[in-house]
Amino acid sequence: MTYAYYPGCTLYTKARSLDLCARRAADRVGFSLEEMPSWVCCGAIFNTAQDDFAARLGAQRNLVWASRLGDRLVTLCAACYNVLKRAGARLSDPAHAEERERVLQFLDEPYEREVRVLHYLEVLKNDIGWDAVREKTVKPLAGLKVASYYGCLMVRPAEVLDFDDPEDPQVMDDLMRTIGAEPVTFDFKAECCGGYLVVNRRDAARDASAKVLDNAKSWGAEAVVTTCPLCQYNLDRLRKPGGIPVFYFTQLLGLALGMPKEELGLDVNSGDPAGFLEKKGLL
Amino acid sequence: MSEDQRPERAGGAPGSGSRVPDPGPRPPRVGVFVCHCGINIAGTVKVPELVERVARIPGIAVAKDYQYCCSDPGQQMVRDAIKEHSLNRVVVACCSPTLHETTFRLASEEAGLNRYLCEIANIREQCAWVTEDRDEATDKAESIIRMAIARAVNDAPLEPVGVDVNKRAMVVGAGIAGIQAALDIANAGYEVVLVEKEPSIGGHMAQLSETFPTLDCSQCILTPRTVEAGRHPNIKLYSYSEVDAVSGYVGNFKARIRQKPRYVDFDACTGCGLCMEKCPGRAESDFERGLDKRKAIYRLLPQAVPNRPVIDPEACIYLQKGKCGVCAKVCPTEAIRYDDEEKFVEEEVGAIVLATGYELIDPDKMPNYGVGRVPDVIDGLAFERLLSASGPTQGEVKRPSDGKAPKKVVFVQCAGSRDQEHGVPYCSKICCMYTAKQAILYKHRVHDGEAFVCYIDVRTPGKGFEEFYKRATDEGVTYIRGKVSKIFRRGQKTVVWTTDTLAGKKVELEADLVVLATAVVANPDGVRLAKELKLQLDEHGFQTEAHPKLRPVETLTGGFFLAGVGQGPKDIPETVAQASAAAAKVMAMFGQDRLFHSPTTASVDEEVCVGCGNCEQACAYSAVEVDPKRRVAVVNVALCEGCGACAVACPSGAMSHRNFSKKGVYEMVDRA
Repeated sequence: MTYAYYPGCTLYTKARSLDLCARRAADRVGFSLEEMPSWVCCGAIFNTAQDDFAARLGAQRNLVWASRLGDRLVTLCAACYNVLKRAGARLSDPAHAEERERVLQFLDEPYEREVRVLHYLEVLKNDIGWDAVREKTVKPLAGLKVASYYGCLMVRPAEVLDFDDPEDPQVMDDLMRTIGAEPVTFDFKAECCGGYLVVNRRDAARDASAKVLDNAKSWGAEAVVTTCPLCQYNLDRLRKPGGIPVFYFTQLLGLALGMPKEELGLDVNSGDPAGFLEKKGLL
Repeated sequence: MSEDQRPERAGGAPGSGSRVPDPGPRPPRVGVFVCHCGINIAGTVKVPELVERVARIPGIAVAKDYQYCCSDPGQQMVRDAIKEHSLNRVVVACCSPTLHETTFRLASEEAGLNRYLCEIANIREQCAWVTEDRDEATDKAESIIRMAIARAVNDAPLEPVGVDVNKRAMVVGAGIAGIQAALDIANAGYEVVLVEKEPSIGGHMAQLSETFPTLDCSQCILTPRTVEAGRHPNIKLYSYSEVDAVSGYVGNFKARIRQKPRYVDFDACTGCGLCMEKCPGRAESDFERGLDKRKAIYRLLPQAVPNRPVIDPEACIYLQKGKCGVCAKVCPTEAIRYDDEEKFVEEEVGAIVLATGYELIDPDKMPNYGVGRVPDVIDGLAFERLLSASGPTQGEVKRPSDGKAPKKVVFVQCAGSRDQEHGVPYCSKICCMYTAKQAILYKHRVHDGEAFVCYIDVRTPGKGFEEFYKRATDEGVTYIRGKVSKIFRRGQKTVVWTTDTLAGKKVELEADLVVLATAVVANPDGVRLAKELKLQLDEHGFQTEAHPKLRPVETLTGGFFLAGVGQGPKDIPETVAQASAAAAKVMAMFGQDRLFHSPTTASVDEEVCVGCGNCEQACAYSAVEVDPKRRVAVVNVALCEGCGACAVACPSGAMSHRNFSKKGVYEMVDRA
């Protein structure tokens, strides 16, 4: 199975491990991601201003291009996923038919077919299936207690994203269980990490991310996984010394599928992630 | 009582009357009476013009109008006209037949006309109220009247179907609603079959500590009733039993009751309790809301009625592994029966009261409130058990996580109620008051404790309720207006995030214990039973009354009555009042020797019927069956509700509906 793939800008820079592990893990479980020959910035934030349709154009241009390749587009970054899916829903919403006309006229290209924006986790869960992932797991992460942190962008607004329970999402927990880790339930799965406040209100972002990490730790978590580059950055870079490590879920997935240490891209994580995994007997 | 249940006044029992001459051979002489209904009809329909036009229709003997036809003089006008003009059909053009059909049918009968020869033309709800243009309304009213005339002309005189009444009642559910209804009926001298699914009676009221707004002990006011119900000579109690199926019709039901295996011989057991003392098996106690364990052989509470334990086969070591048998060894009367099996019994009754009660909403619908994840978040019923003298802590307030007395308790109202996203849209009605009660009782038990109530609105519409709420605030309970967004654990504390909308601030409370006023939902077993019985339920699973204002305890299915929270959330006084009302309806029914059922039912032309059985499939009331010997459909008129589904399904035209024949319908269409 081959899916058109939209990596997004962060996955080429700070979050390259999220991307590289995902591509290699896909090969190992039996599907491939084919990066769109050309793509542009998703816009990073879904703009909800009434008259500012230009802010959604980037995301919609990507969808129009993707429509030449097929009816599905896979992405990994929580922000890209959120923006692309919402921009797509807006494009297909009969209530905004006039806007669709304007967009397509401006882009001067046909929207060949409705493109379904899928998160990598949705592909794993619905198309590949947990059983298949479990079968390919060569190094189960036994004894690793992991808190799955979804943040705000993966699950809300629930009526558009329709991804998972907005208050108590489960899909990453299910994946962690599948690859042999022990998912830890905690209270801050979908609370704010501080988001872009890290740019100008570092203290506020630190407070927010500390709440998430402290709560995860209080439930016995030894590590946190996320799929959002911004969440990973805030939790990882703002944490107190000695705090629990924060991985991309694809890094742990790669590890469980037998990828060697060099391929896990552990250099993006702060502190000593390799040391931690070694201590847990996983590396 | 509907018209059809009312026996004729003069001339004795129906069917015996010879006073109604068969009008069949005579040409129809129709009288039409147009009601003004004040300005309800006359404000839109031009009544005088309408009467003139109607009078010119062939076959009309007389057409009249009147200000209010339903008044005494109005009815007299109809009666006089029947006699004066020798009318053999009457059409009254007025409001909906659900309102005054009975009035005019009885008035016609008083003047010597068979009541089923009187028809209503609804020119109010279906014409005057929904039409603006006066000419259009007048034309439409004429059409409606023409149709009613066509129908009346095709009507045949009929007699109500009389059935005997079995003067025994069944009450399903023995919470306070069922107990009250059963006692009232039993005290009136009728036998009652009382069915309870739990091992003993009392329902949720048996779990409560004290009751608002008077703070009297729930057990103390309930147990006299449970004891009375348990030993009443007119009450036959089936505990640990469920209604499996009901057949028959109003006045003559057959109920199949499933008695779950108790593994204890009911007659041999003396209720000494030795078995429960020695039993090594343990299970979570539902009655204690998971705050305590019970034995595998158990009763719900010390005052259990009947005072006979049951064995939980899941928790019983002997039934699971074949070893143990301690209870059998210690039982002085050899009452343990490990080979007990479920039994079915049949009871014949004339009326059924449903008192199936409630449950609390599944807290998994509100993951943000942490039930199951955060140990010190419990629901209102669990807190009742903590307050109850017979509860797991003997009335001492101790939190589940470490058994310490909580110094700060946060009560969260509307946990699932009034919450379309996570729960139910309706108000559960009892929570404001029981939360105030629980906060007061908590302050009485833990003197230096702080109590906070997070609320959206405090609703106190009841006798003494507002004063009770005032008492809570006077006793130092802090009320914070805002919807709680999240509850989670931080160390030994349970953190509640909410807002204070009056101060416009975010609020974080660090509590030792959080009590959720969880939404009340219809008991799932009651929902299942009502569906099985084909009773109407609303979108939330609460049983639907026949009329929200005027028939609040009856259902649309004859012989079924409602009591308690199964019909909608309500507190104890309201539940008891409704239960007594349901009992009164049952007694009114039992006060009659025979019940009368509308004769406008399905009927089969046996010459034409080929016995295909389509009608049997179509019937929602199990009123039609194909006679296996003669291969023709047979209608049980006592069960038939006259819906007409079978007549529609019949491919040969053998099935028809009395006074709603195909010919009549075609003529109505032609004349419209």
